[in-house]
Amino acid sequence: MKLTFKHGIHPKERKELSADSPIETMPVGDKVYVPLTQHIGAPAEICVAVGDPVKAGTLIGKAASYVSANVFSPISGKVSAIVRRVNAAGRKIPHVVIDNDGEYAEETLLPLTEPTREQIIARCKEAGIVGMGGATFPTHVKLETKSDVKALIINGSECEPYITTDYRLMLERPENVVAGIKLLAAALGTDTVLVGIEGNKRDAIDRMIYATENDEGILIHELKTKYPQGGEKQLIYALTKEKVPNGGLPSDVGYIVLNISTAYAVYEACVLGKPCYARFMTVSGEAIARPANLYVRTGIPFSEIAEYLGVREEYVKAVSGGPMMGISLASLEPAVTKGSSALLLLTEREIRAVKPTACLNCARCASVCPMNLMPMMTDALILQDKIKDAKEYYPMSCIECGCCAYVCPAKRPLVQSQRLAKKLIRELKI
Amino acid sequence: MKEESTRKLLVSSSPHVGSNLTTEKIMLHVIIALSFCLIAGVVIFGVYSLLTVALCVASSVCGETLYNLIRKKPNTVKDLSAVVTGMILGLNLPPTVPFYVPIAGGLVAIMFVKMLFGGLGRNFANPAATGRVFLLLSWSTQMMEYIRPIDYASGAFSVKDFFVGFVDNAAYVTSATPLAEVKSAAGTGNVEVDLLDMFLGNIPGTIGEVCAVAIIAAAIYLIAFKIIDWKIPLTYFAGIALFSLIFYKNGWNFILPNLLGGGVLFAGVFMLTDYATSPNTRAGTIIFALGAALLTILIRRYGGMNEGASFAILLMNLLVPLIDKACKPRPFGYRKPPKVKKDKKEAAL
Repeated sequence: MKLTFKHGIHPKERKELSADSPIETMPVGDKVYVPLTQHIGAPAEICVAVGDPVKAGTLIGKAASYVSANVFSPISGKVSAIVRRVNAAGRKIPHVVIDNDGEYAEETLLPLTEPTREQIIARCKEAGIVGMGGATFPTHVKLETKSDVKALIINGSECEPYITTDYRLMLERPENVVAGIKLLAAALGTDTVLVGIEGNKRDAIDRMIYATENDEGILIHELKTKYPQGGEKQLIYALTKEKVPNGGLPSDVGYIVLNISTAYAVYEACVLGKPCYARFMTVSGEAIARPANLYVRTGIPFSEIAEYLGVREEYVKAVSGGPMMGISLASLEPAVTKGSSALLLLTEREIRAVKPTACLNCARCASVCPMNLMPMMTDALILQDKIKDAKEYYPMSCIECGCCAYVCPAKRPLVQSQRLAKKLIRELKI
Repeated sequence: MKEESTRKLLVSSSPHVGSNLTTEKIMLHVIIALSFCLIAGVVIFGVYSLLTVALCVASSVCGETLYNLIRKKPNTVKDLSAVVTGMILGLNLPPTVPFYVPIAGGLVAIMFVKMLFGGLGRNFANPAATGRVFLLLSWSTQMMEYIRPIDYASGAFSVKDFFVGFVDNAAYVTSATPLAEVKSAAGTGNVEVDLLDMFLGNIPGTIGEVCAVAIIAAAIYLIAFKIIDWKIPLTYFAGIALFSLIFYKNGWNFILPNLLGGGVLFAGVFMLTDYATSPNTRAGTIIFALGAALLTILIRRYGGMNEGASFAILLMNLLVPLIDKACKPRPFGYRKPPKVKKDKKEAAL
């Protein structure tokens, strides 16, 4: 029996659109717009001025606090302006505009040979590495955990529909991914690594098993293809049958979870000395003429990427990230950040209807909730302003995976209600 | 890229994809499943049954429309839930009830039981079960008047039989349903019913309840399309079997008559599984179905009536909010909050 968690859903995978496209490099236009907030935590503090020459890898934003991350120039050229531009979340935030000189001259860090634990953690911090799966939590904070680490868990499940970059990485560059995994394990001081990969990526599993043949500590596990298999708590449960305490962190049970792209970024930073200024991104959806897996530098506006691959037909929704948890965009103006795992242009027939009807009380939402919640109750109560009653149904435990809203026949915005409940409970301190 | 920047995009909270299942599709599946029973009913009791069910559906749909008109609300009949309610109630009626009975039943079920409490998903009691109970109390004689099935095999069969109800039906009326026999045999423990006839529906009874084959086919259909949770009907049937054993002398003899007689199969598949009036919790579902089974058997064994399924469902419907509250699930990884906080508070005091 394949390893998995309880409940969850089987959304249409749509990975076939881009799964067979090898990773290609996205060309850069005349300008890039590098946002100073590309991570969870404090925005980076700008440390270049208009007119400064920069190279690919020049520090342009310094981590402002412990939970923050350095931001680097993705290309060589000149800082031409600092503007406020809209990001994927729809907020206007400062961006550094860099004029491309077309040289792509690099400024690298010193490659590390046989690094110590502290050196790897310091390098992750220096190179501005964050969780590349999309959550963008600074990686050095995770690595500096005070808990005893039983094992490092590498998330290769890539359970979001459409996205195929981790799959391509494992297929095309498994040895580099494994090098990154070993560095992360060394940073955590553990010999045990559990890699979980969903069964729909059979060839990636084979490649990873082959690449780790001589590494006894790294175990590749096939997971059942089910959403949200890549949720931290669900992944830990699938691999170890241990439950992260409600409201707690994976480190509370002795595990640290990082994903494939993050391991690759660590490899780049430590072995090649390349700071984090580019990433892998799936561009897909039925409205993209040529769905692809791209190696993109940060700061490239989404509109340029869409234009490069061709927009086929009328699309009604643009999503940054996966279709289950990504953010829908008001325009294609936002630029690529360290967390941009995917850009999806979706047509009318791909998307979920947005007009809700009355709740049937069918309990499908509760039956699929991987956190064992009752979303229909939170939805009903929060819309009546009964915040205290809504709290009784544990909205704070919601991981916002979207399973409930996916299955809802009445198309109710159940995740939005959970978010509203969380926000009100926090704000009103109920 | 100017064209792109002026394009209007849909912005909404995640998730951005969803299943194809809609309320209307669910109701359509239920209607298809119910039509198995309706077809069986028409074959068994003649075309008047079709008229009865059609009147019930029509009055339900009109009732919902009328209510929405009075309250100046958008009409909700296109979600097809009123059709489902009408069909379930219609199939719960004897085959030859006067035309005003289904009309009154549909109106009461929809307007009073469903719409007054907030419409789809908000009613606390099953509209069809309540409608049936209302009709039982209002027109007891007509609601207890069961005719015998059309006898296709015998030489006496005439086309006129097919139109019983439209013509004088006094000649067809029979009072003994198998449940009457079950009731009278409870003392002796020797029940004499033809189980094959009960299985095929060759017995007096209501339009939709008699044919076990059709109901089982409908159940398989609904479970295959994931419209109903198989746990509710199966727990209910298991409960009926269990409590038959407990409460009857020679209980083994009563398991199948109790399961196949009256509305147990129909209620277990179509009425206990009603989304709005069944628990939303996993454990609650089991308690609910077992409770309904217990009440059904208690009413049949010790109550004044032969049949108890509708009343059992109604009584259990009332307990659903309580059951759900008691069975509220703990979130994944829940641990009891540590008592440290309390000590701190006490120390502060």
